[in-house]
Amino acid sequence: MTAAYREEAEQLDRAILEAIRRWHAHDIPLSDAQFNELALHVFAHQLRYNAPYASYCAQKGFTPDRLPQSWEEIPPLPSAALKEATLATFDPRDAALVFETSGTTQGESGRHYMESGALYDAASLAAFDRFMLPDHVQLRYVNLVPNPAENPHSSLGYMMRHVSALLGDSETGWFIHDGTLQVDALIGEIEAAVEHDRPLLIATTAFALVHLLDALDERKRYFALPAGSRFMETGGFKGRSRYVDRHELYASAARRFGIALGSIVAEYGMTELASQYYDDVLLRQARDAATEPRYKQCGPWMRTRVVGPDGRTLAHGKVGALVHVDLANRSSVVAIETEDLGVQFDEGLVLMGREAGAQLRGCSLTAEDLLTR
Amino acid sequence: MTALQGVASRRIVAAVADAAARWTDADFPPRVRLLDPIVERTGYSLPVVEYALDQLFGSITRAALEATIESELGSLDVLDAPQTRSGRTRALALPIGSVCVISSRTTIGVSIVPAVLALCAKCDVLVKDREDGLVRTFFATLSEELDACASAARAEQWESESDAVELQAFDAVVAFGSDATLASIARTVGPGRFIGFGSKATVGYVSREALRGEAEARAIADGAARDLVLYESEGCLSLHALFVEEGGAIGVPAFCEMLAAAVERAEVEFPPGQRDAHVNSRVASARNLAAFRSATGSGAVFSNERATYLAVLDPPQSEPPAFLPRALAVRSVGSTADALAYLRRHAVPIEAVAAAATDDALLAFAIDAGANRIARFGELQRPPLEGNHGGRARIADFVRWLSVENA
Repeated sequence: MTAAYREEAEQLDRAILEAIRRWHAHDIPLSDAQFNELALHVFAHQLRYNAPYASYCAQKGFTPDRLPQSWEEIPPLPSAALKEATLATFDPRDAALVFETSGTTQGESGRHYMESGALYDAASLAAFDRFMLPDHVQLRYVNLVPNPAENPHSSLGYMMRHVSALLGDSETGWFIHDGTLQVDALIGEIEAAVEHDRPLLIATTAFALVHLLDALDERKRYFALPAGSRFMETGGFKGRSRYVDRHELYASAARRFGIALGSIVAEYGMTELASQYYDDVLLRQARDAATEPRYKQCGPWMRTRVVGPDGRTLAHGKVGALVHVDLANRSSVVAIETEDLGVQFDEGLVLMGREAGAQLRGCSLTAEDLLTR
Repeated sequence: MTALQGVASRRIVAAVADAAARWTDADFPPRVRLLDPIVERTGYSLPVVEYALDQLFGSITRAALEATIESELGSLDVLDAPQTRSGRTRALALPIGSVCVISSRTTIGVSIVPAVLALCAKCDVLVKDREDGLVRTFFATLSEELDACASAARAEQWESESDAVELQAFDAVVAFGSDATLASIARTVGPGRFIGFGSKATVGYVSREALRGEAEARAIADGAARDLVLYESEGCLSLHALFVEEGGAIGVPAFCEMLAAAVERAEVEFPPGQRDAHVNSRVASARNLAAFRSATGSGAVFSNERATYLAVLDPPQSEPPAFLPRALAVRSVGSTADALAYLRRHAVPIEAVAAAATDDALLAFAIDAGANRIARFGELQRPPLEGNHGGRARIADFVRWLSVENA
């Protein structure tokens, strides 16, 4: 890449990292003006160096010579586009991090290339620390997510390795092996934690949690986890043959492990983004025992619009699709459009889930029917 | 003995046709009263609902009923007394007994046609649905035309699993629903006949000969647009994919533009229905993904700001039909072999094929695709009563034959 590119990229990365650091260390958020200015700089940078995204934006009327006035005007790229093109401001062969989407029922997976790990590391650590560890405790991490040793392109596995290495007690355990939950080893770990009164942070996909609860039910095992223990649950049931209502799942986990519902935190992230959202339940616990609704919050370097089919931002309280503008995506695409539904409130974002779908009508063909053949 | 067994078949046919005729009147009070509930249940716009009711009841005429019965059973009289059939033994067509028609969640009134044909076969009929009272109200009209129908034709709410055991008591069960629903019902039906109408799709095929001029192409586009927008692409007779041969006087991209313009015109007559936020987001996302592909040199996309419709030219072959409301992929093909390869790749079960005309190649394509019907563009959503929906007989499943060899 040219020296001009390098200088610009480094300058942007420094500014974004500083924004993350100020919030993480000093709770100083980015102002609206600061976010807008940085977002538009990142967007202009991507118009210059990310050719496929620039072509898409040109179709929407934006070029390096004709930039939007507001971050809300930045054309969001449908997340599925990452399955079809290399979307990076740099040569992907030089990527420091490559994360793959879990694929679709058509078997195609997308790749998110990141030029440096610094932004991802800082963004994920700061948000995790804020929303999962507001009490600043050091916990033992029990990971029921893909082990990066086996799945080097799993963003979730990478994130958990990163945060548990920096924030955990150095005895992190991984309990998914070859895609299979290691139930007996996990039970041993939990028993030891209970015996030594060692609180755990159990990071799990929703699907793994369902399997764990099934396995414990079969064994008729209940636990009373040490005080301070918590769960981080992530992901839905998209593409899975089984769906469990989230409220039921959390209630079941709370009963099974002897913890409060407010100790279960849903993380919302996606491979296409470098930053994550979290339920604010642990943050709220000090002042408010209620866990519902679960408002989601993120670091101030990411903002989200709830949009209608015309792409316009909907008023607070209206259900629409989520468009995320994530400054930590500096080297890929800053604005990502998802099919996830949510509602914006003053208190935060309420995620409506990824499983909702049109109901089926008889004597007709639906994608769901077709794709399960 | 069924409730209608002592009634002459012509009397039943007349009653059904007369009741249907009353429902074709847009000002018929029971019909007017049901419009809002149907709009609310389906989410379709009022003109679409009105069209559906016109089409449904307009197809149930005396002539169509008689033609259907005569073509499948030989004559109407065979339902009343033993008849000599051409080249076969003398026989009587008796009602199979009790028939249950289940529509777990369908477009509008799809259970009515099998129900009235089962009644014409003198069966007792119970329709179980989750609908809006349409069947029950139509049966009330039918009872006004023929008293015996009050006990022969009943409609109840379908309560799913709690009803499953009762199905074993029926001699035949007709079910409309998703594949999973049908499989579940089929498991609970006893030794009686199970007639399932599952998930299917419909495709259109435009040959290069059909695109010989602008007027011809425009007519096809207008018809395809109507087939697309009716019932928000949810019916098995909605247009779900369109194959267009390259090399016509009108090129595929130009035809796609015509189609988009035709859809915009069709949306004036049939405005889009209500969509939930999830469907809205899926359509908008599909439109934006197609726009991305177009910007990076692949295909083209035609839509509007609110994404009320979507026509995508040449999306990747790896992509199955979208099955989103008013969304259609237009695929350039060299021949029917390309279209067939696509359908096989995605294992799409086909109900119907729309085409401007049927030549040998189109006929072979429809056969190979497993289609049950070939129709003109614009006529997909007007299936004739005497047709063979789902590739099945209309009334033959509701009778059992008694041969009388010594007469």
